[in-house]
Amino acid sequence: MPLLEVKDLDVRFAVRGGDLKALRGISFSLDKGERLGLVGESGAGKSVAAFSILNLIARPGYIAGGQILFEGKDLAAMGERELRKIRGNRIAMIFQDPMMTLNPVLTIGTQMIEAILAHRKISKKAARDIALDRLRKVQIPSPEKRLEQYPHELSGGMRQRVIIAIALLLDPEIIIADEPTTALDVTIQAEIMALLLDLCEQENVALMLITHDLGVVSQVTQRMLVMYSGRIIEQGPTREIINDAQHPYTQGLINALPQMGEPGQRLFQIPGSMPSLKNVPSGCPFHPRCKFATEQCKQAMPGYVRSGNVDVACYEVSNLIEQEKRMQEAES
Amino acid sequence: MTTATVSRWDRFRESFFWYSFKRDKVAIVSFVVLLLMVLAAVFAPLLAPTDPYDLAQINIMNSELPPVGLDGADPAFPLGTDAQGRDLLSTILYGTRVSLMIGFGAVLLQAALGILFGLLAGYLGGRVDSILMRIADVQLSFSTLMVAIIVGAVFKASFGNLMFGEIAIYMLIFIIGVAEWPQIARTVRASVLAEKKKEYVDAAKVMGFGTPRIMFRHILPNTLSPIFVIATVQIANAIISEAALSFLGLGMPETQPSLGSLIKSGFDYIQSGSWWITLIPGLVLVVLVLVINLLGDWLRDVMNPRLYKG
Repeated sequence: MPLLEVKDLDVRFAVRGGDLKALRGISFSLDKGERLGLVGESGAGKSVAAFSILNLIARPGYIAGGQILFEGKDLAAMGERELRKIRGNRIAMIFQDPMMTLNPVLTIGTQMIEAILAHRKISKKAARDIALDRLRKVQIPSPEKRLEQYPHELSGGMRQRVIIAIALLLDPEIIIADEPTTALDVTIQAEIMALLLDLCEQENVALMLITHDLGVVSQVTQRMLVMYSGRIIEQGPTREIINDAQHPYTQGLINALPQMGEPGQRLFQIPGSMPSLKNVPSGCPFHPRCKFATEQCKQAMPGYVRSGNVDVACYEVSNLIEQEKRMQEAES
Repeated sequence: MTTATVSRWDRFRESFFWYSFKRDKVAIVSFVVLLLMVLAAVFAPLLAPTDPYDLAQINIMNSELPPVGLDGADPAFPLGTDAQGRDLLSTILYGTRVSLMIGFGAVLLQAALGILFGLLAGYLGGRVDSILMRIADVQLSFSTLMVAIIVGAVFKASFGNLMFGEIAIYMLIFIIGVAEWPQIARTVRASVLAEKKKEYVDAAKVMGFGTPRIMFRHILPNTLSPIFVIATVQIANAIISEAALSFLGLGMPETQPSLGSLIKSGFDYIQSGSWWITLIPGLVLVVLVLVINLLGDWLRDVMNPRLYKG
């Protein structure tokens, strides 16, 4: 049994004039110690997916259907009290902006100790020792001093280290990192990413990494999901997808990487932009921007087909596979 | 910084708060005056030459003596005496004490109610918010004085004058506290609405903290600046409200006068030449309210988040 299994998750936002479907039938799983990447453009539903895993979608958002099974128990159907025992304790989360995630008026020590005491019945002294140990693990210089400091006294990279230390406080099974390095500058980004990767490997923690940086995904994760307009359009082993993307959208994303461009040439760009949730196109949501789009794509949403170890939702791919099968049959 | 830990005092001395206080003459003067008045009020029993509450020390023959420097003054009564022969200096010291107690007490009550309801309304939102804020609106649509007059009159009628004298100070704290809580509740609610959208609140939820803990431990400290500012101004308002009520005869009784009831008791004699009984407590009241308001203004400038968080 996988550690976390999301089945057909539907998340909607109730707004004037009907529901916006932020997530449509999301299914994926995460094993113990596995590192999973979640990529897509802004607005594809990556962060909504992260929040709904902890059942923390705030009104007007709500989970309209599907299951989120953590060790076999459905988080979507769980009561608030039980959920609180899992949040922070078993599943931790790291946010994008380290400037904003720490409470500005409490010292680092207070915030860390409080997080431990909320879940464990131990003495303050013991909690402080755990906090110190985690600060050492994230390689913060003079951790004793940091405990007494306020967030504004630390640099951005240091704060993100503190946030990672907080995520590790209670030895969680899963860390969900929502663009953990976007707000940092490039040199620090690499450091923080390497640190996160090391820690997850050492502690055997499963990592769900949300990002739009395909480079990071290819280095850090073992499997990846590509999201578009609230759907997963491609999922499978990271290496296979990066080397041989099936879905035209994923291909576009990879071709748009600066590394793929020729010097002196314009970078490749997927024409158009992602549709707003208010008017999602019929059929495959990507068809208005897709160069392979046919009449069929406008009619109905494509189902998943398996190509190698990758699941893809695209008629072009499924038609090609069908074609190949027929040719093989004809030969034999 | 050479030491690993910095003491709170050092932090305070390095803070912007202390820095701007040192540079602002008005703030320093106001603070010193307020401090002196508060100390004088707190130590009134030690400082006052006589005890105005002790009827045995009062001699009616000393009534309406003018302050020192005027004809007929008695050096034993530096600020003169009132119509009952009480030493005005002692009475003012005790009166300031009563006024300050009511001011602080009422604001403590306001703050307790206002913070609780403001946090609940702002954080929980929805129906709780609507109900609490409508109650606040209704409360605000009555003037404080009107509510106080009605409640005061009812209390006075039901307890009788003697009993009323004993509970008057608590009753005034209660009336002024309850009548003004919506001011603080609205301020708190507004800051909570702004704070609860910040990511540290999401982070706290993700860490599995319960709602009360997030409200009081995480959001409340971030909304304290505006609460401090408004509470300071509200102390001045409460003192004024109390003085107004006392002036109307619904506040502190003559036997334990506040500044307001002193002004009132002297007002009857102002036509007969004993102006000091009204004027001197009046001046004390004006100075007290003025310094509190000046301090409040300074606090508002210093605690403006756009200035000090940037």
